[in-house]
Amino acid sequence: MADNNKGLVAAGAALVWRRQRVLWWVYAVNLVLGLLGAAGARTQLDHLLRYSLAGESLTKGFDLGMFFELVNVPAANLMRSASSSFLFALLFPLFMLFVTGGILAVYREDRKFTAGEFFAASGAFFWRFVRLVVFSLVPFGLLGAAFSGVRKLSDYLGDRATPAQTGFYILLAGATVVVLLVLFVRLWFDIAQVRAVLQDERRMWPNLWKALGIAWRQARTLFRVYLCISGVAWVTLAVGLFIWTKLPPTATPVSFLVLQFIILMQLLTRLWQRASSVTWYKRHAAIYPADSVDFTTPVPVEVVESEMVCETFAGAGPASPATTAGTWTQTPPATGQPSAPSERENPPSDESGA
Amino acid sequence: MQSRNFVLAFLVLLVGAIAVQAQSPFAPKVSGPLSQRVVAYQIDAKYDPDKHSVDATETLTYHNLTGQPLDHFPFHLYLNAFQPDSTWVSEAHRDGSFRTSTFGGAWDPKRSGSNTVSSLEVVGIGDLTKQIKFISPDDGNPNDKTVFDIALPHPIEPGQDVVFKIKFRAVFPEVVARTGYKRTFLLAGQWFPKVGVWWNGAWNCHQFHAMTEFFADFGTYDVKITLPKNYVIGATGVETSDTDNGNGSKTVAFHAEDVHDFAWTADPNFKVVESKFDGSEGAVKIRLLTYESYKSSWQRYIDVMQGTMKRFDEWYGPYPYAQITVVDPPHGAAEAGGMEYPTFITGDTFWWAPKGQKLFPEMVTEHEFGHQYWYAMVATNEFENAWLDEGINSYTEVKVLDSLYGKNTSMLNWMGAQMGDTSEQRSFYVGVAETDPLSRPSYQDMSMAAYGGITYGKTATMLLTLENVVGEQVLQKALHAYFMKYRFTHPTQEDFLRTVNEVAGQDLGWYWQQAVYGTQVLDYKVRKAESVRVDWANKDAPDEKKGETFYQTDILLQRLGDFVFPVTAEVKFDNGESIREKWDGRDRWKRFVYLKKAKVLSVEIDPEHQITMDRDYLNNSITTEPQHGAILKITTCWTFLAQFFAQMLSWLT
Repeated sequence: MADNNKGLVAAGAALVWRRQRVLWWVYAVNLVLGLLGAAGARTQLDHLLRYSLAGESLTKGFDLGMFFELVNVPAANLMRSASSSFLFALLFPLFMLFVTGGILAVYREDRKFTAGEFFAASGAFFWRFVRLVVFSLVPFGLLGAAFSGVRKLSDYLGDRATPAQTGFYILLAGATVVVLLVLFVRLWFDIAQVRAVLQDERRMWPNLWKALGIAWRQARTLFRVYLCISGVAWVTLAVGLFIWTKLPPTATPVSFLVLQFIILMQLLTRLWQRASSVTWYKRHAAIYPADSVDFTTPVPVEVVESEMVCETFAGAGPASPATTAGTWTQTPPATGQPSAPSERENPPSDESGA
Repeated sequence: MQSRNFVLAFLVLLVGAIAVQAQSPFAPKVSGPLSQRVVAYQIDAKYDPDKHSVDATETLTYHNLTGQPLDHFPFHLYLNAFQPDSTWVSEAHRDGSFRTSTFGGAWDPKRSGSNTVSSLEVVGIGDLTKQIKFISPDDGNPNDKTVFDIALPHPIEPGQDVVFKIKFRAVFPEVVARTGYKRTFLLAGQWFPKVGVWWNGAWNCHQFHAMTEFFADFGTYDVKITLPKNYVIGATGVETSDTDNGNGSKTVAFHAEDVHDFAWTADPNFKVVESKFDGSEGAVKIRLLTYESYKSSWQRYIDVMQGTMKRFDEWYGPYPYAQITVVDPPHGAAEAGGMEYPTFITGDTFWWAPKGQKLFPEMVTEHEFGHQYWYAMVATNEFENAWLDEGINSYTEVKVLDSLYGKNTSMLNWMGAQMGDTSEQRSFYVGVAETDPLSRPSYQDMSMAAYGGITYGKTATMLLTLENVVGEQVLQKALHAYFMKYRFTHPTQEDFLRTVNEVAGQDLGWYWQQAVYGTQVLDYKVRKAESVRVDWANKDAPDEKKGETFYQTDILLQRLGDFVFPVTAEVKFDNGESIREKWDGRDRWKRFVYLKKAKVLSVEIDPEHQITMDRDYLNNSITTEPQHGAILKITTCWTFLAQFFAQMLSWLT
């Protein structure tokens, strides 16, 4: 197992690198939405500062006092622009929800998709992923409540302790646990998405439980991979912001580049996680049928020969008649069984109705 | 020879005695009373940390220096403000919050506090406990018990003394409005029955309001506090004795002179950090009561105290007391932070306070020390003229912090962002510029935000703006003169305005009428800045050529607000020329016309940004060339935040 999981992070990164067109498209959409979200504020600022010297103190430094003036002047109404930014920001997760199917399909096949193929794959999985998102509200909601509980606990205990740091340390410890659990839930739902695409799982509820079993049993491997990649994201964010604060106040173009680099890295690491989970699944799915997952007892994963995996997935790749036509049309199994790749990977399960 | 030696020895002893008196550990450090000591309080108090209560006996000797017979005496019982139907709570509830506390929801019993007088005896007259009558002179609220009046069977004649012996219990709320407990910490402020002030021919004893602070007479305090012996205690004045009672408790005695209030604090977890300031009247002990958690702020407290005391000493006058006690409240007790009592102030900080921000502990500490001048010594009536304390203090806060940390960085210089204290004062003011005049009693202001914006922000910006008329140095001299003349008295706002007029050598009535007694808003705007070819009508005119073509430049300035104030406008041309124009601002607009071989580049009213009362800085200038710098910078950050937020949300999908 260890050997087989070796290089999973690197393999995921290599996959993102090979299919970097996905990253650039996702980044482009994020940037466009960001620019549209900032357009309202820009218009307001243009109206106030375009022919005014008032912005000099913001250009030559960042005079927070002048920024507050901008926010407070009724004519500026920058807060209204903030709400429009929020609305544009909401579009991005919707977009990502839509294209995730296409992204996973690209990573699964590890080849260049045409736009038609990509969006067909995206559309094919969209409603399944919507269902998964709805399901995910439960664990994320529970974790949100848990975090709220941690906050209340830290307030309660902190309020009764003499050292001022007590509440903070309790919050830090609690928040760390919650963040790790959130990461685990993300891993769980990522595997569910991967299974939906790679095995054409249509029933999301059973798929979710199978994914949980995999995530639980493979937590040592996959969670470590996710944690490692998240670490890269957090370090990049911290270093990027540190560099940004050290930039000369007038270096706006460089500032833009640094901030965009941060965004790019956040998006990249997220795709990296997805690519790693796809890679892992491609390596293991054949000998690791989800139906046999024991949710509670971790068992060692057997080593699988990479050739075998490749062979296993060969039929689901570019050679598939359904995909060579330029559009991704998942063929529903006539008897309600999983589609071709899935049939090869999994024995019929009780949940699949067989 | 012998007699000469005797005389010499006598003189040496006399000088020595005077020197000893001058170096007395009691406040003040100079011999003789500094104030007209109207009251003398002797209080013997016992603190119960479990019940957060004090049982005490108080002996108040009141010297009738009013020049007329007094047949009744009003007293404050401030802790009764912390009852759900009091005027204070109803005002705080009306505005939803008070300082850092919210009052919008249901009544929290932990906020209950009370003062109960169990016995009141007048020496020579007898027990008058049953004569106690609660009054509500400000709003007639029958449920408000923050002021009681006691009628005497016969008046106290001018020059006579009257001695009150009062037994009372004070129950403290969980810390709110500058008093109360938090865990083992206690800040005991406004905790004892305190007599009103005979002022301007009448008793002045207002109810406790959410938007006021305090007013009391000068005198002496001898206070003994008994509490568990593991407690560390600090108080107004200086400690005179610390006696172990042998039963797990101790009694600590304090003495203070020429002060008008007495507050104390206690906590077994206090750490004591001591330092000193060498002022023009000798060394002053700085006693900081703080916590291990705030170790990173200890030196910051000391540094800002020494820097502030130095500037006050140089600019406004000496600090004559022997000691200043600085209390750093524990976490969760922010309501105890940022408060002043005579020779006793509370700061505030947090354990991770970055050095680049100067709000905590620097600004708070500076501000509260400033009150030693504008509240503790120049003892203004904070119910009726709060701005004379809070406002002037906010102005001197700007001057001191700017001097210590830089004009544009005195509040913040952290992670690439800067902010000066002037901006902070403006931010208080601009949102409520037209709501209330400074001259209005602060408890009658429109709201809590208006009280803060007007009392603190408007006064500070008003005095900063006044520097444009009289000059910074003259205003500093005026404040010095005002302090030296009115310290240890109760001046009115007219006393302050007259002093500034006298020192400035001009009648500033036109300014005071608008800035102090009025609600006029100061707002000037550059309406137009345009250069047009003189030969615009000539179809055969040659092409424009820089330095050769004549232009007529029109500059139009406009006064949007009703506040009339002289302004300077700077006009810049593309040949490098810069012209400064003055406008008295009396008319609604003013046009300036130039004929030059140059085009206008920019026009700016108040180019040094000194008219801090101008409500809208954004309309103070016009440029003919577009200015992209700030727009791009903010848009860049805005875009990033929108992107980052978007990708965070997408993480959930």
